[in-house]
Amino acid sequence: MVGRDVAVAAMVLGFGATAAYESTKLPFGTAHNPGPGFFPWWTSVVLDLLGLVLLVQALTSHSTITREGRSRVTKVALLLVVLGAYTFLLDALGYPLCAFLLVLFMLRATYPQRWAVALGMAAITAVGSYLIFAIWLGVPLPRGLLFG
Amino acid sequence: MEIFNNLATGFAVALTPINLLYCFLGSFIGTTIGVLPGLGPPATIALLLPVTYGIPAASAVILLAGIFYGAMYGGSTTSILLNIPGEAASVVTCLDGYQMARQGRAGVALAISALGSFIAGTLSIVGLMLLAPPLAAFALKFGPPENFALLVLGLMMVGYLAGASMSKGLIMACVGLLLGTVGLDPIMGSQRFTYGIFKLSDGFEFILVAMGLFGIGEVLVNVEQTIKAEIFQTRVRGLLPSREEWRAAAAPIARGSLLGFFIGVLPGGGAIISSFISYALEKKLSRRPERFGKGAVEGVAAPEAANNSAATGSFIPLLTLGIPGNASIAMIFAALLIHGVRPGPLLITEKPEVFWGLIASMYLGNLMLLVLNLPLIGLWVKLLRIRYALLAPLILVFVLIGAYSVNNSIFDVGITVAFGLFGYLMRKFDFEPAPLVLAMILGPQLEASLRRSLIYSRGDLGVFFERPIAATLLALALLMLLSPLFRWVLGRKLSQTVGPVSGPGVAEDRSDVASK
Repeated sequence: MVGRDVAVAAMVLGFGATAAYESTKLPFGTAHNPGPGFFPWWTSVVLDLLGLVLLVQALTSHSTITREGRSRVTKVALLLVVLGAYTFLLDALGYPLCAFLLVLFMLRATYPQRWAVALGMAAITAVGSYLIFAIWLGVPLPRGLLFG
Repeated sequence: MEIFNNLATGFAVALTPINLLYCFLGSFIGTTIGVLPGLGPPATIALLLPVTYGIPAASAVILLAGIFYGAMYGGSTTSILLNIPGEAASVVTCLDGYQMARQGRAGVALAISALGSFIAGTLSIVGLMLLAPPLAAFALKFGPPENFALLVLGLMMVGYLAGASMSKGLIMACVGLLLGTVGLDPIMGSQRFTYGIFKLSDGFEFILVAMGLFGIGEVLVNVEQTIKAEIFQTRVRGLLPSREEWRAAAAPIARGSLLGFFIGVLPGGGAIISSFISYALEKKLSRRPERFGKGAVEGVAAPEAANNSAATGSFIPLLTLGIPGNASIAMIFAALLIHGVRPGPLLITEKPEVFWGLIASMYLGNLMLLVLNLPLIGLWVKLLRIRYALLAPLILVFVLIGAYSVNNSIFDVGITVAFGLFGYLMRKFDFEPAPLVLAMILGPQLEASLRRSLIYSRGDLGVFFERPIAATLLALALLMLLSPLFRWVLGRKLSQTVGPVSGPGVAEDRSDVASK
């Protein structure tokens, strides 16, 4: 797992360097009167130092953590894609339909259930949550095409 | 006598019907999520934050605090009956609790854990009540340099104690500080890192970050590591411990309460570590340590007392210094800020109804929890039959609605999902989310105190070392930073003289917890 830890350290270093670079675009000020860029710059520098420590630790460690099964990682990735789609389609399709599809997806793909259970749960969740939040609590959830 | 007057004020607040209801709801929800594996207190509090917008500050904090300490009660139930900790703080309870259940003593284990939790919870509230006012009075003397030093020490401790790796903890703290700089500059009021996105001009909304990291992040992690639950097939009966079992549990409960309280006060200390240390302590003190892990009553009593006591203790740095010591407390910090109440040394004098109302509600809440967890234990055992497969979609739907409802904005939903991804990756690579949220919430304060100190001293860094309190606090922070180095040097010396040695239990235990 050394390779994975090195990659994480590299990401930390990259993030720190980017943050430091972006901080230089802000007025740094002086030590008597630090400007808006002062604190982010120093924090980025500390972050990069810590990233270096992590890199050294990664290169010298002998960790033997086993990786999770690939199929489960795929499930996470798919769920993330669906969550992204939920966000983008929320306005167009409306909340009830989006929530229905999200729950249906989770109960068929992420945690496979029988069709009847999945469809039933998805319908109950979508309608129930819409009634509670939109109708009762007055959250203006997007209604979309179907219910518009 | 002043303390009794204050307490009376507190009870006047806590005993109003609506606050009694919030206290009960908090305890009830806390026990529920404590029992359900896969949903922790920070995630639940994050989910309920939007709900507290419309209620008074005292009620909000009574509700959220109830969830936090209620979870400590509920977490032990699954440890004992399923050998699965409902909360990270109940990991050690599995060791002896589950063995007791297998020997047909599940009822006794549950009773000892509930009573131990109650005694510890109540004792630690007394501690909180006595210790907080003088500490707050002391902290009132702090100027910007002392505040800066205190915040540095606080973040250092959280980075050090919250996870298995100090460097990873501190990295998360730095990332949190940087995220906290997005939006308005705290001194000059100019925009930073907003890149023309109007929605970012006030910075990342804390609640969205918290819901993403804890709500969505936890669901994603659980998708990857399936939770297997098999209920131990036993009837829970014989709830009352025998006189002998009582005698064996009394001293461990007392020691666990005391130890837990003081560890809880340390930022980053908290419930998890205190339960491990108190278990180790009891094993060391026991005349027959070989019984531990095979159903020793002490092995349930001490850690359960300690985690409750620590949960209460961790309110001290929040209410007196304005430093949240763990992720759940950070959510409560955020809830108070939303209500315009700034936790810190002035809280007790300026908002006595919040402080004393909370204290009084904690006494009541612990009493409610005892009733909820002993006579009603059968109810919670039934709850264990709910499959996580059905719970996970509900959590996600609730998070997504919550995120939308903050500003009725789809952009916010996107931010929350993005932080969900981030929270998942963090946990996957063994980074703890707690230092990040704490740093994010304390960042603007840390930056303001640093810059004010430098303006005041005209750029002379000596200001941090010439003032005794600031210098002491920074010296402690430095000591903590260098401690891995000491350990390494010491370890090398030892291995040269006596051969290879393994480190003391706590550090190893923590890595187990972190992976939970």
